Amino acid sequence: MRPLPGRPRRSRRRDPLWLAAPALVLILALVVVPAAETLWLAFVDAGGRWAGLAHFQAVLQDPETLAPGRFPGSPPPWGSLVHNLVWVALHLPLTTGLGLALALLLQEVRGGSLLRSFVFLGMVTPLVVGGVLIRFLFDENAGVIPALFRNLGVESLARTWTAYPQLALPALILGSVWLWAGFAMVLYSAGLASIPRAYYEAALVDGAGWWSRFRHITWPSLRPVTAVVVAMTVLWELKIFDLVYTATQGGPGGASMVLALQMYFYGFRSLDPHRAAAVATLLTLCTLLIGLWFVRTAEGGERG
Amino acid sequence: MARSWRWIAGLALAAMLLAACSQGGTGAGTEGSGGDQDSNQLTVIGPWSGAEMEQFLPVLEEAERRLGITIQYQTQRYEDLAQVLPAQFEAGQAPADVIFMWDWWVKEHAQDAVDLKDIWEPEAGAFRMPAAEAGGQVVAVPYALTVKPGFWYRKSFFAEHGLEVPATWDEFVALLQRLAEIEGVQAPVASGDGTGWPLSDVVEHFLIAFGGPDLQRDLIEGRIAWTDPKVQEVFRDRLVPVLEYFSDPMDWTQAVDLWWQGEYGLYFMGNWLTGLVDDPSDLGVFPLPGARGMVAATDYVFVPRHSPRAEKAKQLVAFLISREGMELRARQGGKLSGRNDVPAEAHPAVDQEVARLLEGAELLPDLDDAIGGDWQRTFWDQLKLLWVEPGQWQGVLERLEQERGR
Repeated sequence: MRPLPGRPRRSRRRDPLWLAAPALVLILALVVVPAAETLWLAFVDAGGRWAGLAHFQAVLQDPETLAPGRFPGSPPPWGSLVHNLVWVALHLPLTTGLGLALALLLQEVRGGSLLRSFVFLGMVTPLVVGGVLIRFLFDENAGVIPALFRNLGVESLARTWTAYPQLALPALILGSVWLWAGFAMVLYSAGLASIPRAYYEAALVDGAGWWSRFRHITWPSLRPVTAVVVAMTVLWELKIFDLVYTATQGGPGGASMVLALQMYFYGFRSLDPHRAAAVATLLTLCTLLIGLWFVRTAEGGERG
Repeated sequence: MARSWRWIAGLALAAMLLAACSQGGTGAGTEGSGGDQDSNQLTVIGPWSGAEMEQFLPVLEEAERRLGITIQYQTQRYEDLAQVLPAQFEAGQAPADVIFMWDWWVKEHAQDAVDLKDIWEPEAGAFRMPAAEAGGQVVAVPYALTVKPGFWYRKSFFAEHGLEVPATWDEFVALLQRLAEIEGVQAPVASGDGTGWPLSDVVEHFLIAFGGPDLQRDLIEGRIAWTDPKVQEVFRDRLVPVLEYFSDPMDWTQAVDLWWQGEYGLYFMGNWLTGLVDDPSDLGVFPLPGARGMVAATDYVFVPRHSPRAEKAKQLVAFLISREGMELRARQGGKLSGRNDVPAEAHPAVDQEVARLLEGAELLPDLDDAIGGDWQRTFWDQLKLLWVEPGQWQGVLERLEQERGR
């Protein structure tokens, strides 16, 4: 549309900049500058001289980051990098699968909303509290899980899981499945509600069974939701800290150490900000890769 | 476009002004604690909560009365302070005027601590533990003592089962075996855990008992390796063979309750245990037979340079470490006097037995507290592994030596 003659033409491009200015200032001060400084710290030594990749090398040579030869033949510790990958390999399918299963189950159940709220409680529980709960959940004297295995006669699992290197990491992962599955469930529930009923009615008319309807209607319709769940869960697994800190402190013997916790120990126990910054940079790189994948997936979805 | 940048510049300026205003009303740029209004109100941060805090508060109340100040006490664990303080100091702030903290940590941040030499030197001769010094300054001074005297037991439990305090190593092992055979006892010795320090106390006691006090000092100073045959001998011949009698590590406060209920026979803990049980008069304690030394841990206190009330804070510290201040603390129980001129009788009856043990024993610094840093965390963590996988003791020692060498 052409502007009316005599009226000054307003730039439509400037307004958003004005509106974004306060947020941009905050992002600059609280995100960009600290991130740049962290990156800088990772490449310089204590005297501010260029150190190249020395801190990265030191971090990767630390047996707490990578314990060569131990994975997968020996029990943990395998190093925080491997532990984070194990988190992703186990926790991601478990939470995603459980969240989807719960969403499907509770979809048609009377009182499903209430039950969903209960499951979601784990998600809103502070992770520090979650860590304490996990410690007690798997405690030989007070925990439900060892008691369950004791009753089943499985004595090897009727002990304090967080005290044993073979069991500490599984305890944390299983505990966090319980805490995090509510997130996937809520997103999947919303996704399920958005699928038109007509699809299912048409499929029923065609004689499609449950599995066929799930495979050809539900699962493809939930793909964008799955992308969000996967991206958010992987990011959460990469930055996992408080749960591990409270439940095991990364032990015993480093058997449940994760990168974020290692970064904390470098920074606040070793008082070495450079190695901490190197871990932070590695974590950011991993996070960026996931973020890029997610953006590309989302864009692909929009185009498709 | 030029107008937009003027707006952005204006916004940034306003933000900077706001930030400047929030630095504190007094305008004392580098001063901390909010650059505060009331110069007679001090804030003290210590690690004690619950019963331990209740034992400390009467000392602060007396200080308020004598010094004409008001004191606000806050509880913060050392681990949390280690995270918070560096950023505060960097910003020229201090969250409190008097802070209790690890001595190794204060030495690392000596530039942020007030020199306490003038209040320490007149008292130094009376103290059992040294001050923390760095760069020729006294950056932190010791306060009350806690000691790790040995294995605690309930006198009534021992009497009920006809058990006696062991006088030799063989008797000690026999006692563990007898405890294991008592019905209802889950394990002869309860193993406290949480962050890992209770296990380190047990190990230090073994090192001192069978390697001698010098071994503890040599390990602290790095004069001897963790893989040295002398250390290996203590682990291989003494500690590892009896670990089967210890429970899996459990939360140390939970362990107190279970041990007190009779599910475990012995519990190795510091003397603050006396404040955590229902009937302290039922408590007995014995060291490993032959132990000539005892770990005495002390809480160190410092005044941050960024406190705007540093002089008042120093007066408070001077009172805390004075004979009167220390005697008052000793009377409350749970801690022993850090000064040797406070008589054992000044302590409550339950602490007197331990206070007397101090007179005959060689007091040694806490090994992991003295070394500190990430090595301390590794030590605690490796011991948690040792407790459930005793067969890996050599790997544990190698890992400790590797970390010590950094």
